[in-house]
Amino acid sequence: MKVLIVEDESRIAKRIERMTRDIFGNALQSLTHINTLHEALAFIDKNSLDLVLLDLNLNGDDGFDLLTTAVSESFHTIIISAYKDQAIAAFEYGVLDFVPKPFNRDRLEQAINRTNKKANLTASTVKYLAVKKRQNIELIPIEDVIYIKGAGAYTELILSDGTKELHDKSLEKLEQLLSYAFERIHKSYLVKMSEVKEIIIKSGSKYIAGLKNGALIPIGRTKYKDIKAKWL
Amino acid sequence: MNCSLLLSNDKFIKLLYSQNHLKLGLKSSPCVLLISILLLATSCGQKPSIFKEYRTVFKVGDHPTWAKKVWNDNNWESRIKRIPEGQIFWSRTKIDILTAPEEFRPYGLQIDAHGEYEIFWDGVLIGKNGNPGQEEELPPEGELWITFSVPTHLATEGEHVLALRLSNYYFPDHVGQYEIEIADYEDLLTNLLIDTSYMHVFAGAFLIASIYFLFLFLNNRKEYPTLIFSVCCFLIFALVLTVFSKDYSPIHYSLHVIRLHIINSFLLGISFLIPYYFSMQFPYSRRGLTLILYAVILIFIWLISDHAFDFKTVGMVLSMWCFSFGMVAYGAYNNVRGARLVLVTLLLSIVIYLATSFVISLYASLGLILLGMLYLLSINIKEQRLAYEDSLIHSTRLRLELLKKNIQPHFLMNTLTSLIDWVEEAPKKGVLFIEALAKEFDLFNQIENQTLIPITQEIDLCRQHLEIMAYRKEIKYSLEEEGIDPEQKIPPAVLHTLLENGITHSLPLNDNSIRFKLVFESNSDYKCYTFLTFAAGVRQTTTREEGTGLKYIKARLTESYQEKWDFASEPIDHGWKSTIKIY
Repeated sequence: MKVLIVEDESRIAKRIERMTRDIFGNALQSLTHINTLHEALAFIDKNSLDLVLLDLNLNGDDGFDLLTTAVSESFHTIIISAYKDQAIAAFEYGVLDFVPKPFNRDRLEQAINRTNKKANLTASTVKYLAVKKRQNIELIPIEDVIYIKGAGAYTELILSDGTKELHDKSLEKLEQLLSYAFERIHKSYLVKMSEVKEIIIKSGSKYIAGLKNGALIPIGRTKYKDIKAKWL
Repeated sequence: MNCSLLLSNDKFIKLLYSQNHLKLGLKSSPCVLLISILLLATSCGQKPSIFKEYRTVFKVGDHPTWAKKVWNDNNWESRIKRIPEGQIFWSRTKIDILTAPEEFRPYGLQIDAHGEYEIFWDGVLIGKNGNPGQEEELPPEGELWITFSVPTHLATEGEHVLALRLSNYYFPDHVGQYEIEIADYEDLLTNLLIDTSYMHVFAGAFLIASIYFLFLFLNNRKEYPTLIFSVCCFLIFALVLTVFSKDYSPIHYSLHVIRLHIINSFLLGISFLIPYYFSMQFPYSRRGLTLILYAVILIFIWLISDHAFDFKTVGMVLSMWCFSFGMVAYGAYNNVRGARLVLVTLLLSIVIYLATSFVISLYASLGLILLGMLYLLSINIKEQRLAYEDSLIHSTRLRLELLKKNIQPHFLMNTLTSLIDWVEEAPKKGVLFIEALAKEFDLFNQIENQTLIPITQEIDLCRQHLEIMAYRKEIKYSLEEEGIDPEQKIPPAVLHTLLENGITHSLPLNDNSIRFKLVFESNSDYKCYTFLTFAAGVRQTTTREEGTGLKYIKARLTESYQEKWDFASEPIDHGWKSTIKIY
């Protein structure tokens, strides 16, 4: 596990660091602490990470710039902030969890444990997926996304207008964030269930989901029962 | 120049000095201050004249037969410049009565002659004003403006002769055409009183205004315009009273010129003060210069000739109007509040002048200006109330802003998180941290409801804050003082806000320290606080938090010093410098 802590309050940073080490134990491969926004951006650009613990208010800067960058990356982001009113916005951007200050070890552990769980259990819903473009980061509204296809370490978002966008997060990570509306019906597909029109059963126990836009997505043999139980 | 000529020939101006011809018809007017109604009444209320007056002729000498209706006065003079040594002289005026009076409703005769005289109607003595020719033996008598009753049987339709046997010992160079008025006797008397009473109500309004504006000035000594306006109102009151008091307080004819001088002096004062007032109300550049120029013009007009009162009056009033109009028009052009209203008033006075006469328009405009001023005053009072309410809201907001400093999440939650950590990891240090926090809260409590606090208290607050931040950030903070005068006061949490900004936006130097320095300098012009931050990576950003911090500082400075402060903030080598100058 490679973890980055972005926090400008030295005492709090030490606290997070200590607890993170404790929670991950041997699983921790590296732990870095950075206290300015722009050093953090540079670090994210150069290093591969699994988790970023981010304070939204650094030296008077608004951390939402860093947040949009962070959520477009392959790693999960957990916000640790004094401003509870920013929680909803943070969730809409697709953070894994929002830990309000002051926090204790249990709360931090709960947040960190989400990285291991399949589904995001919070009631909050992700509104956007941040996608890296050549110059900037674009926020794709979730309502435009019909299904997501795994493509190695990346994923492909298929949108309602037929266009495709590449996302840096893996299908597993997106499943964690989007489980409230999307279902992993195949090892390579994450589909918004409201877009599914029918399930076609073909000979040889092949199951195919027919979407409203006419696309046909295979359903994994092992997944069929779960899906049937959950959605039908 | 002989004043009699000007005075008697110029009906235009007559009203200002004697109101024999103030046929305003005020009987039908319900309120004197509603000048417009008054003007309407003026134009509709005049009755047709019942007599026709011919040229008056004079002769020095004394003979009882000169009073007779039939007498050849062809060789009499139409004008005598001066009557030598208080001699008796006679005047004869032919008068046509156009309609005879009703029974028991005698005509009255008003005459405006200077001197002591006996008055004959067709050779019959009908009245007496003093004792002509006996000035040296008897005390001075001889009032100006007397109303005589003409017996009904004498006032028949047709030609008559009015003869006066006069002496004007006290005013020998004043012999001229008289103003004569013949009308119903009772009407003449009551009209006079009605006019006088209305004009006194009018004057009373100015007296009240004068007292009121004087009180306004006494309660706010900086408001010189209110004093000027008060004086102005008083002069108008005095002017009207002097002009109209003669009906109940008899004036000896020798005092006539003195009375005119007094009236003219009041008018001089009014003529200067009204434009002066406007120049204060609607300021412009080179004010002093125009005012001096104006004063010179006025004094020139005032001194120009001893007895040319009509000319002086018109001159002064006309200059007053022109200068006022210029100033007010400029004010209106610049959108100064109230200027348009006054401009309308001034233009209205022109309309009134064209519709009626010079004097009515003068009084009417003065009345209108007063109404305009009262209206402006009511607007001012409303604005002051709103400003006061605003300032209350403003200071309450600042107070809340101050209190918020300690409960805003960034400070409170980060402090509490650090505190938990200290308590968990090093309980003894945690306790010290709690104590430091308690002290800061305590200090905030002490200053929370004040607009200025001693500088030493502000510095204590800063030090306390640094102690807390040291526990949180684990950076070595220090605050140096230089030249601090413990007697000085400063709005609360202003330096504290600069310190907060310094902490938030700086990174420590290589030795893990951030240094602050407060320097105080003062001279006769200003007091100056310089707040220096020595740190790495200090930069000014335009984010919300910083914005509110600076806004708070500026609002606090404005609250305590109005416009008399300056705030500057700039980067310097290895840090940041903020300067607060208080003038």
